Amino acid sequence: MSGRERGSGPSGRERGSGPSGRERGSGPSGRERGSRMSAMVTVTRKGVWAHKRRLLATCTAVVLGVAFLVGTLVVGDTARKGFDTLFVQANDGIDAMVRGDLELGSDEERQRNPIDAGVLDVVRAVDGVAAAVPSIEGTAQLVAADGERLGGDGPPTLAGNWIDDPELNPYRLVEGRAPAAPGEVVIDRRSSREGDLPVGSTTTVFTPEPVTVTVVGTATFGDVDSLGPTTYVAFTLEDAARHLMGAPGRLSGVAVRAAPGVGEDELVARLARVLPEGTEAVTGTQLTDEANAQIESDFLGFFETLLLVFAGIALLVATFSIYNTFSILVAQRSREAALLRAIGASRGQVLRSITAEALVVGVVASVLGIAAGIGLAAGLLALLDASGMAMPDADLTVRTGTVVAGAAVGVLVTLVASVAPAVRGSRVPPLAALRDVALDRSGTSRVRAVLGVLTTGAGVAVVLSAALAGGDASRVETAAVGAALCLVGMVVLGPVVARPAAAVLGAPLPLVRGLSGAMARGNAMRNPRRTAGTAAALMVGVAVVALFTTLAASLKTSIAETGARTVRGDLVIASRDFSGAGLAPSMVEQVRALPEVEAAVGIGFGTVLVDGEAEDVSVADPEGLTAVVDLDERAGSMEALAADELAVSEHKADAEGWVLGQRIPVTFGDGATAELRVAATYGARDLLGDLVLPTDAYAPHVQQRRLDVVGIRSAAGVTTEEARAAVQRVAEAAGAPDVQDRDEYIDSVGEEVDQALAIVYGLLVLAVVIALMGIANTLALSIHERTRELGLLRAVGQTRRQTRTMVRWESVILAVFGTLGGVGLGLFLGWGLVESTSSAAGIGAFTAPVGQLGVIVAIGAAAGVLAGVRPALRAARVDVLRAISAD
Amino acid sequence: MTTLRTTTPAGVPTPPWDPPAPRMAARAEAATKVYGHGDTAVRALDQVTVGFPAGRFTAIMGPSGSGKSTLMHCVAGLDTLTSGKVFVGDIELGSLSDRQLTVVRRTRLGFVFQAFNLIPTLSALENITLPIRLAGRKPDRAWLDGVIDTVGLRGRLSHRPSELSGGQQQRVAVARALASRPEVIFADEPTGNLDSRTAAEILTFMRRAVDDLGQTIVMVTHDPVAASYADTVVFLADGRITDELPAPTPERVLDRMKEIDR
Repeated sequence: MSGRERGSGPSGRERGSGPSGRERGSGPSGRERGSRMSAMVTVTRKGVWAHKRRLLATCTAVVLGVAFLVGTLVVGDTARKGFDTLFVQANDGIDAMVRGDLELGSDEERQRNPIDAGVLDVVRAVDGVAAAVPSIEGTAQLVAADGERLGGDGPPTLAGNWIDDPELNPYRLVEGRAPAAPGEVVIDRRSSREGDLPVGSTTTVFTPEPVTVTVVGTATFGDVDSLGPTTYVAFTLEDAARHLMGAPGRLSGVAVRAAPGVGEDELVARLARVLPEGTEAVTGTQLTDEANAQIESDFLGFFETLLLVFAGIALLVATFSIYNTFSILVAQRSREAALLRAIGASRGQVLRSITAEALVVGVVASVLGIAAGIGLAAGLLALLDASGMAMPDADLTVRTGTVVAGAAVGVLVTLVASVAPAVRGSRVPPLAALRDVALDRSGTSRVRAVLGVLTTGAGVAVVLSAALAGGDASRVETAAVGAALCLVGMVVLGPVVARPAAAVLGAPLPLVRGLSGAMARGNAMRNPRRTAGTAAALMVGVAVVALFTTLAASLKTSIAETGARTVRGDLVIASRDFSGAGLAPSMVEQVRALPEVEAAVGIGFGTVLVDGEAEDVSVADPEGLTAVVDLDERAGSMEALAADELAVSEHKADAEGWVLGQRIPVTFGDGATAELRVAATYGARDLLGDLVLPTDAYAPHVQQRRLDVVGIRSAAGVTTEEARAAVQRVAEAAGAPDVQDRDEYIDSVGEEVDQALAIVYGLLVLAVVIALMGIANTLALSIHERTRELGLLRAVGQTRRQTRTMVRWESVILAVFGTLGGVGLGLFLGWGLVESTSSAAGIGAFTAPVGQLGVIVAIGAAAGVLAGVRPALRAARVDVLRAISAD
Repeated sequence: MTTLRTTTPAGVPTPPWDPPAPRMAARAEAATKVYGHGDTAVRALDQVTVGFPAGRFTAIMGPSGSGKSTLMHCVAGLDTLTSGKVFVGDIELGSLSDRQLTVVRRTRLGFVFQAFNLIPTLSALENITLPIRLAGRKPDRAWLDGVIDTVGLRGRLSHRPSELSGGQQQRVAVARALASRPEVIFADEPTGNLDSRTAAEILTFMRRAVDDLGQTIVMVTHDPVAASYADTVVFLADGRITDELPAPTPERVLDRMKEIDR
């Protein structure tokens, strides 16, 4: 290959001067004798090398997207492996577990029916059982030395009985002794450290009833301080039964160790033959599998899917960015392509050359992205570690599949993004080499306009049809299809509207920034396809931001409306814990006894089986219920619900064909079934759902009764503040100091939406950063292309400041164009989704968050300034002489 | 020399007729420009002292590499000298900051280049008024009209550069240079990209700008015919002034060039 001896040439030349027009002609000269293939390879290789800085900028978008993707997968796999190790360890010595055979409940709260303590003897009598110990599992929340509750923000607050058989207990005593007397507990070492609860200290645990305990020992889970981020409290068997099982004589299960020579399956088979009804036996392996499946469905799967969705958004934005960069590079090098064609390169060869360049970028970026992703995962896990949420097994798990997925996605994204530019580049006629083809002024063809309008129109129509029809869940899918169509349509339409849009957006600029402003506007208008491509990346990112903002605002409005309509009480005590012990029912009695209080109602949530189907129910004290909530009673009286009655929403009653007085068979968590009579119906189902059970009907069947909300109505003649002060004293003693008035409560529920929104914003930052880098990259390329023009401007008297102003405002126009498109799209889709889900998901009221969207546009503009900083500096630094005299 | 030339942009009255020692619109004193270091150093300008009289059309000629473009760039404040001084009017450019130089360029100097003279996004009129507007001033309507009529662009003002022929583009460039009434217009091979007929047209405009509007023009060229439109031709070779020819004709310019080559 004759090009080889010149191999070192470009590196030396390029290092100093950066990419310039000078290398363009040098590619093919003197290479005709080499084979055609190797000649094109040389051209590609030198092309990549000559534009390495620009390509590196292109790479960055892919690198970030792939890093996000790989990082997510690695964190997920590492956590999964860590949990698996933990569960295997936890169940290590357990060959079989005997337990209740009915499982009920939602993700946060699952329970099995308890078994009778007598089962223990039955199990012990089975041949092949080496050891069998009673096991009680529940939740209890520790109070730290400073009075704050420990944990409860997601990871469970575990509690149980201390098991003396070390082979059946994954916890190891490291200090003190096992609990022996009432009120004695062993806690995990991490809680002891973080809660400042050393052996010998006395504190309270909430089950959710407050229990005073003395820490007599600390334990490690295997050899780590705690089971992941959970907390652990171990009582004596008697205490555990009293506090966690609701009554003595009940167990969660019996942990069994097999005699030598008896396998797990054999042991379970033998146990199954003698177990009474309502109990089952499972192997230790199955126990581990179930735990893994549960953590997957509760937490990991959701977590990973969520992150992958945002990685996908980031990659989509990256695709637009890369597409744009390649378009510009190809346009700028159309002369080079034409020259290659003129001296005999075929269209296919030019196409392959450009595609090969994209391939190189994709491979390099993917490799960097995979490395960065693994680093990101390591950093994230270290961060979790530092914040006390240590994952059990910190060894990074990088599966081959993860690496393959990262590489495949990175290369594919780059190739897909470069197809159109490559085809366009190969279509440059050879004659173009002899002419001056500077701008690609494509982008406003009639076909594109028609196609764009049709696609967008179809998308809008689909969304409208879904929104206006309203109703069930399938509408949401329809709306999603419409959303995708809208997005595609707007991207297609982009170049058509870019010019007028830039003209309109830039219209105030000449007035504000004079000539520099006018020229910024002109520059933004001169190349519609480029403007649109750059803005599209930002549009996608911002559309998602705006969509979530709109959904959140609508949700908050709905919450506020529901609250305003249904909450009648003056004061509310709400459980602050996400996964903690909740509020103690005994507190309600004390509050109700206050003279300042007319009515106090404890409300909790649970799950029952109706006709074999799991149904979420609200559990409330009937007495005083209508004083604290307005459920829009239709028939019967909710205040008068007896222990064998329930209230049903009118919606549910209609759907099921239930009538007043009808008896409904309800199975509770402990396996008992009762026929409850429909004694009342109500209209407002957004606060307490479709089924309301009186406390007396539900409480006897649960092991640890907890309340989520206590609604309070103050007595006549007592001000809310007086009542609040009185309630506050009682609540504080019960460890629930957050007494809110009605408005505060309604606001606080809305704030939870804001917290979720903040997380979504955080995850979208990357996509928006990629989009902004795209703007900076496009501007940098445009400026490189306009070197001569900038030099001329400087020669005839443009100051550096004016040059910077001009570039900066061009950047702002691009950013605002993209942001506005995104906000418009997001708002519309938000409306469509809200309207199409309305009745199903409880988001009844569409709200346009005008203020927040305004802030997003302002941030978009500010980000435009930021993205323009470097290009502006570079433009201002253009060497006047070189610009005007360079050939 | 007749009309219009009554004041300089600074507003100082000047004698309407050629004074015995003509005022210099721009000049260089012992201007030296060295590119590179040590053995590879190239002296593009070597102790050049030259003046460009106000109200005159001066051509700078010389073979490739003689330093003619470097001289022009330095006198116009686009490039800096290694040693020596350059003046525009009474202002010594060497002491100015980039910002001050920019202001000098847009208020006191005009430029016409060989190619890429215009901003593609601006119309002809916007291009013409560009330096004035960059300075944040309003164009002098009457003067602007005069300039536009002089270069004959009345019907083309709203056109973009891509809609104009090469000759028309150069006329816009000349008009732009004239519009801000600069003390000196520097033209770098302004006809280098044009055919001879269009070139003659542009040179005639430039000549008229000097004769009718009292403009000072310094033009770098290697074309003897173009040089013959000037009042004086300054010859440069190897970074030094070798000769000066008043009232040139193409033949005499060509003769001098041949002498230099020898």
